[in-house]
Amino acid sequence: MAGVAEAAVVDRTTTLQTLLNTPAGKRMITCIQCGTCAGTCPYGDYMEFSPRLVINMLRRGFIDEVIKSDSLLRCVACYACTAKCPRNIRLTDVLLPLVKEQVLMNNTQMPAEFQKSLENMHRYGNPMGESPRKRTAWTATAGVKVPLIAEVKREVDVLWFVECYTSFYARGQDNSRATAKLFAALGVDFAILGNDEKCAGECGQMTWESGLFESLAEYNMKLFGKYKFRRIVTGDAHAFNAFRFRYPMYGLTQPVEHTTQFFARHLEQLKPKLKKPLNMVVTYHDPCCLGRAVGCYEDPRALLQAIPGVKLVEMVHNRVNAVCCGGGGGGMWLDTYYKQKGMDRLSERRVKEAIATGADVLAVACPYEVSRFEDALKVVPHDKPMVVRDVVELLAESIG
Amino acid sequence: MNIMETRKNEPVRIGFYVCHCGVNIAHMVDVEAVAKYVATLPNVVVSRNYKYMCSDPGQEMIQKDIREQRLNRVVVAACSPLLHEHTFRGATEAGGLNPFYFQMVNIREHNSWVHTDRLEATRKAMALARAAIQRVPHHKPLEVKKVPINPDVLIVGGGIAGIHAAITMANAGKKVYLVEKEPSIGGHMAMFDKTFPTLDCAMCVLSPKMATVGSHPNITLWTYSEVVKVDGYVGNFKVTVRRKPRYIIEDLCTGCQECVANCVYKEPKFPDAFNLGLGKRKPVYMPFAQAIPSIAIIDPEVCLNFKRGKNPDGSYTVSDKCKKLCVVACGDRKAIDFSQKAEDKEITVGTIIMATGFKTFDPRRTPYYGYGVYPNVYTALELERVINASGPTEGHLVMRNGKEPKRVAIVHCVGSRDENTNRWCSRVCCLYSLKLAHLILEHTDAEVYNFYIDMRTPGKSMEEFYNRVAEEGMHLVRGRVADVYPDPNDTASGRLIVQAEDTLTNRILKIPVDMVVLSVGLEPRPEAEDLRRLFNLSCSSEGWFLERHPKLAPVSTFTDGIFLAGCCQGPKDIPDSVAQAGAAAAEAFSLIDKGYVEQEPNTAFVLAEECSGCKSCIPLCPYTAISFNEETKKAFINEALCKGCGTCVAACPSGSIVQNLFEDQEIFSEIDGVLAPLPQ
Repeated sequence: MAGVAEAAVVDRTTTLQTLLNTPAGKRMITCIQCGTCAGTCPYGDYMEFSPRLVINMLRRGFIDEVIKSDSLLRCVACYACTAKCPRNIRLTDVLLPLVKEQVLMNNTQMPAEFQKSLENMHRYGNPMGESPRKRTAWTATAGVKVPLIAEVKREVDVLWFVECYTSFYARGQDNSRATAKLFAALGVDFAILGNDEKCAGECGQMTWESGLFESLAEYNMKLFGKYKFRRIVTGDAHAFNAFRFRYPMYGLTQPVEHTTQFFARHLEQLKPKLKKPLNMVVTYHDPCCLGRAVGCYEDPRALLQAIPGVKLVEMVHNRVNAVCCGGGGGGMWLDTYYKQKGMDRLSERRVKEAIATGADVLAVACPYEVSRFEDALKVVPHDKPMVVRDVVELLAESIG
Repeated sequence: MNIMETRKNEPVRIGFYVCHCGVNIAHMVDVEAVAKYVATLPNVVVSRNYKYMCSDPGQEMIQKDIREQRLNRVVVAACSPLLHEHTFRGATEAGGLNPFYFQMVNIREHNSWVHTDRLEATRKAMALARAAIQRVPHHKPLEVKKVPINPDVLIVGGGIAGIHAAITMANAGKKVYLVEKEPSIGGHMAMFDKTFPTLDCAMCVLSPKMATVGSHPNITLWTYSEVVKVDGYVGNFKVTVRRKPRYIIEDLCTGCQECVANCVYKEPKFPDAFNLGLGKRKPVYMPFAQAIPSIAIIDPEVCLNFKRGKNPDGSYTVSDKCKKLCVVACGDRKAIDFSQKAEDKEITVGTIIMATGFKTFDPRRTPYYGYGVYPNVYTALELERVINASGPTEGHLVMRNGKEPKRVAIVHCVGSRDENTNRWCSRVCCLYSLKLAHLILEHTDAEVYNFYIDMRTPGKSMEEFYNRVAEEGMHLVRGRVADVYPDPNDTASGRLIVQAEDTLTNRILKIPVDMVVLSVGLEPRPEAEDLRRLFNLSCSSEGWFLERHPKLAPVSTFTDGIFLAGCCQGPKDIPDSVAQAGAAAAEAFSLIDKGYVEQEPNTAFVLAEECSGCKSCIPLCPYTAISFNEETKKAFINEALCKGCGTCVAACPSGSIVQNLFEDQEIFSEIDGVLAPLPQ
């Protein structure tokens, strides 16, 4: 099953008032109110206004009632509704963010944790409020040279957009070190932006804190303009999503690849280097922004299966049907809020399925998932130990 | 061609008529301005606009002008020639002219319907009209040829549509060839249990018709056969049918099935296609109890007397390793022939009816319904077999684990109304889902849930059927199923959770059920594209065979003499398939009983004095109409075979092939006309 259609169908100026006149809005007019979106929504149980109802309220001119409710803050931007919609309606990245923006404007009680993260992104260029000067600190432990594009002073093949969690968080840095090692092993001509890099802003876009996204996108685009590179590669599925769907509206013309797509494309060169057998049963969690958003389900699986000694098993919900980790659309900073509302954590729902497979490793391809699933494993009882590893970490380990 | 001389000395006098088509043309094209402009062009004697040129007064106006104004050419700017060229050629002829002195300009489909700028559309109409005005002086009088029609008919596909068409034509005394791909006729209908809305047993109503086909003196039934080649044209199609080997001599087999009983395999072991793999059969088998022809067939893939695997040419090698107890049992009947080979039969027919049917949607394409992953997820067609008394469970509704379901969910619109799979409504699923719900209630004490988007029950007695079945007490939930997964609290029993929004209560339902039935939609058959090429048909973008006109020629195709019946044209129920089969038969009759077909004189001919004899044209002709005269060393085109495609005309290096109605001078004048500057 293919992912969501690629073409950008709204422009930057689209508002809830003008939406129904755009090509994406025309699709919404064709909605048959079948409820697939609500039925597949991981938080459908908790929504006063299901995605189906939001569409009809918009069509009937009752959208103000939806905006007054905080129902839509439960959307984790997982693309489940969009991927299964029989009318190809772009709920996740067109309709719901526009509604959410209005919800945020109307709600005086903004969840504190969430507000703090957005403020941090605005002030420091990363949601955790770390000093931008420490962004490249991890490279000292990379074990290979990680060139800065400003110092390379020529066109590079790959601009590696490292992103925040993978720069500042210890477990995220594991991902970055692995990626650097794989790039070096393949002899890839790559460089990073260094401390100048700021969050791609996808979290802002998905919650449609549009002003924040706009300023981050314009900042990064200006930065890109200073250098020459042939493609962007990123290990952050959310940054990948922003570059794929939103940045082209700001003038980005270079192709974008997720690290798993890039390494899958180089699998023939990589294979002979994957020498160390890992002897483990692995189950793979499809990140929403890589799976349903673009239909990339098989590349990460091909990489895992290329590792000697890896046995791949599937969870009940996989590929188009995967259950979100709960981190998208601002969900990363809404855990406390969701708990207050009595909602279960999606990361726990997901690791229960992973545990049921009997796997040793829960493989992921998005930096949000590592911390979310590791936390979930601390509270969900399981007999057999299970670890969370990014696909690139497993590849790097097999290279030895 | 002496007809060129007939009006040689007479000056060209053109009558031009632009049609309003009500407002269809007039709302986008300033018809008066067009008429006024054309009046200024050379050779134009009259130029008029009129509300409906195709009406009687419109046609009479042309005839009157021909007589009174001594017109010798007529141009009408109106709709598509497909609709009314024939009408206006008739009017031209009735006025006393050769009908080919007429030229039509399409300013509706090619202009007013597709443009939004009235000024530009008007200018385009003027340009198109002028092209015709410049072309028509070069027209020559031509004659329509009549070609006799072969009264025999070929029907492709032996489902209910093909069966009904075959019997209709055979009863009227026509010779019918019925070709079916499978070893028996019957199609999908033979697999159904009961039929909506009457709930009569499908086989009870179908098997008498199947038997009639099998015994009808006017029907030649070729099952396990496929059409491999089609040549010729309406009235005279030459068709090659490949009869695949069934390793049983049809004329000698009595259908006693002693070979089956005595096969070295004591128990059936191989998946039974008729029961969709839910049952088993032996290597030698009868497709199903009521199969027509009632003749056994041997599957060489699994029969011990053959080597496994096809040869590159598709044939199989006899291993002679089996004890051949079947041959012993057959005895003096000597019906078993392991050396049988595929055999090609050539027939000539005047008309063809396509009744090649559909396939059901493969629900693996909607992976979130778990088909092929969870054994208790069935397709509706599988349930038909399970519920059928002649099916693998002899009509006991039990699942693959042998248990009777306590709760069943029927999921509507699987592979229908979905941009990700098939966009169309498959028309029959709501009703067959209601029927299956009724049958489940009849067979078991199960609770039944129907998950639907919209309940579509058009047609005679269908809404009444819906009402009747609803009263029997099933759950009707308005919401499309979003997810099917094993019950996390009960993984051992195979129980599934069906998750959907009940859109009428705004609640998410998670219903635990034992069995899920997917109401799969109807799709074009995978071989439809090959058939389209073979028979030179058109397909809609979805892959259904395209009818000539959706309303007014629903069973005709764009290829004269070929008609459509049943689901190969689009999803439909049994009553509609049968009605369409009757209509296709009637269309074929109207051709056959006329006795001849008229041939458009747009054929090509060779200017013998200029032909260099290079033979370039001969292999290019798709209709094998060109031969080479060894004495004169010139190419010759058989007018009866030429379809006027123009391939040879374009290919001839010496420019010595000319096509009637498309002569160089005509085409170049038309191009000059359309490109010349218009007045501001």
